[in-house]
Amino acid sequence: MKYWKYLICAVLLIVAVSLPKFIGVYPLQMANIILIYMALALSWDMLLRTGQLSFGIAGFFGLGGYATMLTSTYFGFNPLLSLMAAAITAGLVAALVGYSVLRLRALYFAIVTLALGEIFRVIAQNLEITGGTEGMLLKQTMFKGDAASTYWVMLAIGVLTIIISIIFQKTRIHYASTSIRNDEIVAASSGVNIFKYLVIIFAVTSAIQGLVGGAYVQLYGFVEPTATTFSINFVLMPITMALLGGLYTTWGPVIGAVLLSVIAESLKLRIPYGHLLVYGIIMVVGILWFPGGIMGFIKKMFKISNQ
Amino acid sequence: MLEVKNLNVSYGKLQILWDVSMQIGNESVGLFGPNGAGKTTLINAILGIVRPISGEITLDGESLLKMETDKIIKHGIAVVPQDRELFPMMTVLENLRTGCAYIPRAKKKYKERLEYVFAMFPILKERLDQPAGSMSGGQQRMVSIARALMADPKVLILDEPSGGLQPSIVTEVFHGLKEIKKNVSVLVTEQNVRQALKAIDRGYILEDGKIAMADTAQNLAGNDHIRKSYLGI
Repeated sequence: MKYWKYLICAVLLIVAVSLPKFIGVYPLQMANIILIYMALALSWDMLLRTGQLSFGIAGFFGLGGYATMLTSTYFGFNPLLSLMAAAITAGLVAALVGYSVLRLRALYFAIVTLALGEIFRVIAQNLEITGGTEGMLLKQTMFKGDAASTYWVMLAIGVLTIIISIIFQKTRIHYASTSIRNDEIVAASSGVNIFKYLVIIFAVTSAIQGLVGGAYVQLYGFVEPTATTFSINFVLMPITMALLGGLYTTWGPVIGAVLLSVIAESLKLRIPYGHLLVYGIIMVVGILWFPGGIMGFIKKMFKISNQ
Repeated sequence: MLEVKNLNVSYGKLQILWDVSMQIGNESVGLFGPNGAGKTTLINAILGIVRPISGEITLDGESLLKMETDKIIKHGIAVVPQDRELFPMMTVLENLRTGCAYIPRAKKKYKERLEYVFAMFPILKERLDQPAGSMSGGQQRMVSIARALMADPKVLILDEPSGGLQPSIVTEVFHGLKEIKKNVSVLVTEQNVRQALKAIDRGYILEDGKIAMADTAQNLAGNDHIRKSYLGI
């Protein structure tokens, strides 16, 4: 059974890698969007597995975006190096901030992460070197905008996120996350260093969000603090994708991201602006009918068939 | 040896434990007392969950007072907390793994520890892939005790192990306790004093946050105050 799983993953990966040979620029752009949201949704879910609800996705996404822009503009970093700078900056800031905010739990933590995003945005909006309210333009996007190459970078980020999520689920990080979420006293009584694991997971997931933000800037070539780089969409969309796909799993947020991105994009073409309403209804109905998400529904079905 | 010396613990201005001292060597020790006497507070202090205002807690001569809970567990104390023993969504095997996953000493002996707990609770071997939350109350208690034993502890603390269990299962749990104490020092708090006195070597009576009595199990069973207040005789 395990070999089949590996085989399916290998086939999917080969198909994904060879996609630029078979499809045009627009579907590739679409695939980039899916990969961006997939990585954000999955990274958000990885932290949620500890029971910590974060609304800071857009904050670290924007931070990574600005790190990429600034290192490319002022230090002449090449695109890949600037992406690394984005991940490291977001990860380091999360680790430092985490030392104080990870003492908080539940809504208190959620609100602080939301506020963090706002703080990053206000800083970016008010500094001259970040371009103020107007933002900044990248001199040259990565691979001079070549659709296939940029897609492969986004695919690599998506695959890397999936691999990290699987590592989180196959190692003792999984036991630490689950036990912290279930009961912190029991977790500590099992020898879990709760704070250490929370800081590590917060830093890693924020680094992924920063990396995705950096890739987004390399893809579109600009940062703008108010409506784009720190947009609330980068908080709401990944969360609903993970909810619809199924929480606490690797494939749930992946399925949710693919499904909702495709639906959103096709609706956008058919019902200009009205797509948001339809999109919202799909989310509400989906969550009402599938409280465990699509993965939860699939698991339930398998359980029934086993019986 | 786990040693508690002149321990004082308070929650704000409300003092719960007053000058509590006790020792646990290679034996099983009971800690009895009415609800609100401070039994769970004493356990929480040993585990570093509650910080005492004064006193000392040592394990094999080393102070535990400034250690975080996870360090204390790594140092050799395992606990089965009252009413919140296991991770219900995890399978039995995953629950057992969490017992030793974070303790380097125990992790090296994973297979050996697994065989040890299977010998003690054979039913667990048959239910490895079952979610722990779907097991009966008695089996869940076995999983929680087994998980604590996976940590290869020097001292095992059981907080009300018979709570919420039917009498036949309680007998089974205390029978298991007799086996456990052959290899591990045991501290058990219990409301079911009658059963517990059969399984322990010595006992402490905690009343209003103070040690009111300390004696062998045999002497406690014959004491008038214990017979009247705890055994209902």
